[in-house]
Amino acid sequence: MKLKRLLIATILPMLLFSLSAIAQDKVVSGKVTDSKDGTALQNATVMVKGTKIVTQTGADGTFKVKVPATAKTLVISSIGFADKEVAIGAGDITVSLTQSNSELNEVVVVGYGVQRKKDVTGAIAKVGGDKIANVPVPSFEAALQGKAPGVQVIQGNGLAGSGSVIRIRGIGSISAGGDPLYVVDGIPIISDPFLRGNQGAMNQNPLSSINPNDIESVEVLKDAGATGIYGSRGANGVILITTKRGKNGKPSFSYSAKLGFSSAAAKPQFVNGAEWLQLRQEAWSNDGKPGQATLPGSLTWAQAQATNTDWWGLLTQTGFINEHSLSMNQGTAKLKTFANITYSNNAGYIKSNAYERLSARLNVDYKLLKNLKLSLTSGFNRGINKRVPAAWDGGIGDAMSGALPIYPVYNADGTYYINGANPVRRINETKRREIDNRLIGGLALEYEPIKNLFLKAQGSMEYTTNIDDQFESYKQTLKSVPDSGYAKRFPFTGTNWSTTFTANYLWNPSVDSRFNFLAGTEVQESKTKGYSGEIGGFYGSPYYMHASDYRFQKDTLVSKGYITETEKDAWTFNSFFARVNYVYKNRYAFQATARVDGSSKFGANNKHGFFPAVSGAWTMSEESFIKKIKQINFLKLRASYGIVGNANITSGIYYDNFRIGSNPYNAQSTAYLDALGNPDLKWETMRNIDAAVEFALFGNKLTGEIAYYHKTTTDIILYPAVQQSTGYKSLPRNLSDSKILNEGIEFSANLKLVDNKKVQWSIGGNIAKNRNVVLEYELGPDAVTGGTNDTRIVKGLPLGVNYLVRYYGTDPADGLPIWLDKAGKQTKTFSLDNRVYAGSVMPDYIGGFNSSLSYKGFNLSTLFSFVIGGNIYENSAKYQFLGISKKNWNFRKDMLDRWQKPGDLSQYPRLTSDATLYPGVPSEDQFNSTMFLRDADYLRLRELTLSYNIDKTRLKKLGLTGIRLSLTATNLLTFTKYPGGDPEITRDFENAQDRNLSPNITYLTAPTQRSVVFGLNVNF
Amino acid sequence: MKAKHIISATCLSAVLLTASCKKFLERPPEGQMTEEVALKDEAGVAAFLNGGYTYLADDDFMGGRVQVVSELLADHLNGDRFTGDYAEIFKRQNSINGDTRDNMYSKGYKLISMSNRVLANLSKANTDAVRQSFEGQAKFFRGVAHFELVRLFAQPYGYSADNSHNGIAIRLNANSENLPRSTVAQVYAQIIADLRTADALLPTTTDGGKFYTASKWAADAYLAKVYFQMNRFDSAYFFANAVIASNKFQLDNNYNDRFSDGNSKEPILRIANQVGHYTPGNELRNNFRSDQSIPGCNFTASFFNYATLKPYDTRKAWYSSTLQAGYFVSTKYNKNYFEVPIGHLTEMKLIRAEAGAEMGTATLATAITDINDITTRAYGSTTYNLLPTASAASVIATTRLERELEMVAEGNRLQEIKRIGVRTGNNLDRRSPSSPWNCNGFILQFPKSEKDAYAPFIMNPEGGCF
Repeated sequence: MKLKRLLIATILPMLLFSLSAIAQDKVVSGKVTDSKDGTALQNATVMVKGTKIVTQTGADGTFKVKVPATAKTLVISSIGFADKEVAIGAGDITVSLTQSNSELNEVVVVGYGVQRKKDVTGAIAKVGGDKIANVPVPSFEAALQGKAPGVQVIQGNGLAGSGSVIRIRGIGSISAGGDPLYVVDGIPIISDPFLRGNQGAMNQNPLSSINPNDIESVEVLKDAGATGIYGSRGANGVILITTKRGKNGKPSFSYSAKLGFSSAAAKPQFVNGAEWLQLRQEAWSNDGKPGQATLPGSLTWAQAQATNTDWWGLLTQTGFINEHSLSMNQGTAKLKTFANITYSNNAGYIKSNAYERLSARLNVDYKLLKNLKLSLTSGFNRGINKRVPAAWDGGIGDAMSGALPIYPVYNADGTYYINGANPVRRINETKRREIDNRLIGGLALEYEPIKNLFLKAQGSMEYTTNIDDQFESYKQTLKSVPDSGYAKRFPFTGTNWSTTFTANYLWNPSVDSRFNFLAGTEVQESKTKGYSGEIGGFYGSPYYMHASDYRFQKDTLVSKGYITETEKDAWTFNSFFARVNYVYKNRYAFQATARVDGSSKFGANNKHGFFPAVSGAWTMSEESFIKKIKQINFLKLRASYGIVGNANITSGIYYDNFRIGSNPYNAQSTAYLDALGNPDLKWETMRNIDAAVEFALFGNKLTGEIAYYHKTTTDIILYPAVQQSTGYKSLPRNLSDSKILNEGIEFSANLKLVDNKKVQWSIGGNIAKNRNVVLEYELGPDAVTGGTNDTRIVKGLPLGVNYLVRYYGTDPADGLPIWLDKAGKQTKTFSLDNRVYAGSVMPDYIGGFNSSLSYKGFNLSTLFSFVIGGNIYENSAKYQFLGISKKNWNFRKDMLDRWQKPGDLSQYPRLTSDATLYPGVPSEDQFNSTMFLRDADYLRLRELTLSYNIDKTRLKKLGLTGIRLSLTATNLLTFTKYPGGDPEITRDFENAQDRNLSPNITYLTAPTQRSVVFGLNVNF
Repeated sequence: MKAKHIISATCLSAVLLTASCKKFLERPPEGQMTEEVALKDEAGVAAFLNGGYTYLADDDFMGGRVQVVSELLADHLNGDRFTGDYAEIFKRQNSINGDTRDNMYSKGYKLISMSNRVLANLSKANTDAVRQSFEGQAKFFRGVAHFELVRLFAQPYGYSADNSHNGIAIRLNANSENLPRSTVAQVYAQIIADLRTADALLPTTTDGGKFYTASKWAADAYLAKVYFQMNRFDSAYFFANAVIASNKFQLDNNYNDRFSDGNSKEPILRIANQVGHYTPGNELRNNFRSDQSIPGCNFTASFFNYATLKPYDTRKAWYSSTLQAGYFVSTKYNKNYFEVPIGHLTEMKLIRAEAGAEMGTATLATAITDINDITTRAYGSTTYNLLPTASAASVIATTRLERELEMVAEGNRLQEIKRIGVRTGNNLDRRSPSSPWNCNGFILQFPKSEKDAYAPFIMNPEGGCF
């Protein structure tokens, strides 16, 4: 036992030292605090000047030391703070230390506790709440982009409330979810984007109802050292969201408002009606067809020529952003309160589309006794998403596809034109509202029965009710009377609770040794309930306008037994975990964590998993040989290794899925077998290595971190194809011979260029390179596909490779496309047999860089984010290029570079009236080739903020403590070679596998929102 | 050490909790059952079997997809507007991708898988009568599904002299083993064996005489169809005759009734329509319905002219050239709801007529009566009736013509092109003389998963018809 020997070696001299100290007769006690916020400073070193007498402060910042009667001065030091000398006088000494490197002293939230950044042995990126709340985004997680190294955020598309795809250090899963675990104030929340599947070309985003104004900080846990405590749910990383709590101080209020405008970050360009007709005729003639081309939608040429509808223009608007938030803070030694109410309405650039949010929060900490604290956490959020159809479901998607400029909106008699796509009719005559009410609350009791032992019991609850109201007017259902519109509602409720018991003991056996033991148990149950069938009826308006009709219809259906309320999804976790931290001499830190997870998600044969992790750090700057180097202020090496799991799988899939049918047949009940189960199903296993250097140089001017990680995932969960003649398309299983590697380097740095009273200018940035490769994989290329998109998995290549026929170019002689066969030989006959791995949806590098310049009260800050490498596959571009064929879609302007006459050298082949006339093309659906594979590189001015803080002295008269005015723009500029508009693509996904394998595949995806917002913050 | 005590106390309570939490970790979503629970008794098996009717008439299967795919491959439809899967199938160059085909294939096999699970649980029946009913229905489903699939995914019976050409996988149990294709001969032998068992076990009438579930006559109707497809006229005649002679079914007087919500007297098995619950036939309406917008499937001008040539043909009501200007559409499915017939008396009459004529003089008179019943109804008089002295050849020719018109948009034409192709060697296809009944692309390609999961699986050669 090395540790034991180490303990003895440290404790023995301590004892001897103590004995010798007994001879002295003077006791000095006191407390050390942080000058910034007055919080107690734990583990600060208290040394008697001129002696070797040393002690450390406890958890409450207090210290007690026996000193020689002659001693006059104490030297107080702590990493990240400037040393301070104080005179020994009578009574308690209170010392307030000033931070020299604020970052190191930041309190970082870790699983089931907090740590000072300098003591952290795992990889954790912290993003402050202000950096999230100040950016107008459809959902808070989008604001993380570019701010945390190694965290890829593909921000949501242009639909209000749309969610981002977040990948922490790559992706190691195929069929299991690749999203991180979201924990709000200790409870893993309902964050599944597939709660409502893919409806109306959008995945409902449960995160969108979270109020950014409530967030104190977001911690992204990246390596096993940090996520090991989350065991089977740690593999994809963990995002800890901590809400604001009351801080010491008199009651104070803060009001903030945002007012602004939104538009599309990029607008796809299509040809107009006359051009479309001309191209239609060109294609027709190319194919040797005589006369005028036939037209879709029962239009004559004269009618078509007389129409030029700007569908995009008719469907979009300048969105209006409107947000008001009022919060209150109060804190005494006994009672601390934070309260907030927020109203916001973010109207998107698509007409009728808006996300409205109403939030209320009350967090209270109350000290019942000196050693007993009760904490209440409660937040209510109501998100109302005024939905519009998109992408393949129509609406704005139609404007990019089937709504041709030659189609009118109305017929001559004023009725809607319905012989072709008419998204204006759809937007006007249908209504859809998704309402998400979500209450997240918790009650915690913290008891310190003896000094340094903290027992904590926490019960948390998340309750959501979610309503999806849909309505089609009689003009949409093609009935004759207004009452015969159709209203339907799909409600579900989610209940998610967890209880956690932890025991935490701090033990400092000597001045140089500190232990922190944590042991705990956690139980969680989550379930969602919904109705087995549709609740709907013929009405003249949506249910939300006459809810009593809905309740009547629902009660009728329930009482007749036509529908029942059943659990849709339910899962449980029962876990035990422990953590030991040991710090020696403030320079060697060691941590071990272990967790046992049992879950109802795992098969009967694999109910429990064990997940251990170890990590360590060496603060080299505490060593004397480094201390001599003046340029180095802080230097820490850090490493971790651990096994974590991914349990992000649909519950109950290990079970056969027999169900009673929602409809009887012939008045008899029915039952179905919807899916086959697999009792061996378990978590995915990931082995995670992390090593990093953290540094602060040149008088803390340059700070940063370089990290390396190596993650291998095995037991990968797949739904590999089974023969469809079994009646089932897939069967879930852990693929035994599978291994995916994510290996990468992250670099982040911040440099204070100018730092004086008048001007502060700092620049910073981060870049991460991830190498993703499928090391072992036994199945064929088509066995697992990325949903509806052409991405595949193949050994030796990154996850989600584009599997496409290679387009070589156009034959100048006849304008027909030239393809490459598997061997690379040119051929003019298209064949799916010639598909090869042609690209990857994984980027090589991701990152962001920022600058912050302050002058007097002004601050100008910018954030750029970028992606280097990887591909975008435009799944809808094939149809857009074939738009003038009988596919009848809009034709993109960037595709006009086509072959027209012999000798033409062009990017695109000659136009055709029928895709199958290109030799070998079975249909337009199969016309997937590298013709539509693009570079995904981009650089984007993600955020630009100009703010002004009014001088506080001037405000005093008004009774105010601060006013901040700001102007923030998001997605203002984008630099990209991508011809399809917005290079940041989060399309609607069918399932987790689709989401894992097919980011960067676009299908009529609405471009992200660009916004310009004026902000006002008033503190009083 | 106090800490030590606390840690051990925590561990102890942890152990205790684990023991009590075993049940807590068994938590499938409510309503989700394992086979042991779902099929534990007679009622469970009955409900599972009853779901088979909705699989049979699912939109992806006999509720329209089989018919639509058949019509796409055949020669009545105008292909100018088809794109995607439809264009591939229409062009007889179906490829390895495509949900239109995949979903139909897996739905058919889902019905088979369901049947096999029922057959494995026959012992749950409490009485012999129930056991026989379970087995009869399951084998009926299994036979029908194999038959509908083999006709679309394999070259027809008679394509090779001994029918040793590749058919489809025969699934006789519910496990997930990988299977190769059996020969067409083997597949038909299995279909006949299943349907004959069903014929022996199923009742002659069903609850309330409504024929909402399979009866002996449903099995016989399919046997007639199967034998007719094989050009085995004696057996086809025998079973068509059995259905007709049962007198349980009558020809509708009104052509509007065959696809109606309960008005038809023809269906041998009818899939019930219950608004608010289960409404079969959406796929037929989605593709053919023409009174609201231009349907996806509409006829070529030449077929429209051919079908509406005879002035007194009351079946002309099934077509319109005015509902959607410039399109020749079907009106057969212009309804919000209807019951889906699985086999109807008109088809039985047509089978008995043609088979009777093929068999020779002994059955010719019955054949003439049958076809005259059809023509009398069609033309509102006996004007187009055959004389009692008509030749077998003229009965056959007339029956084929009337069959095409009677069963328009019901997925009939494709199999007639093939059956008659086998029988006569002639190419009936009106789309192209270069696309004979036995060309490669005239059948569908298998879903790519068949080969992905099982490398030895032999896929169909693609295209080559035009």
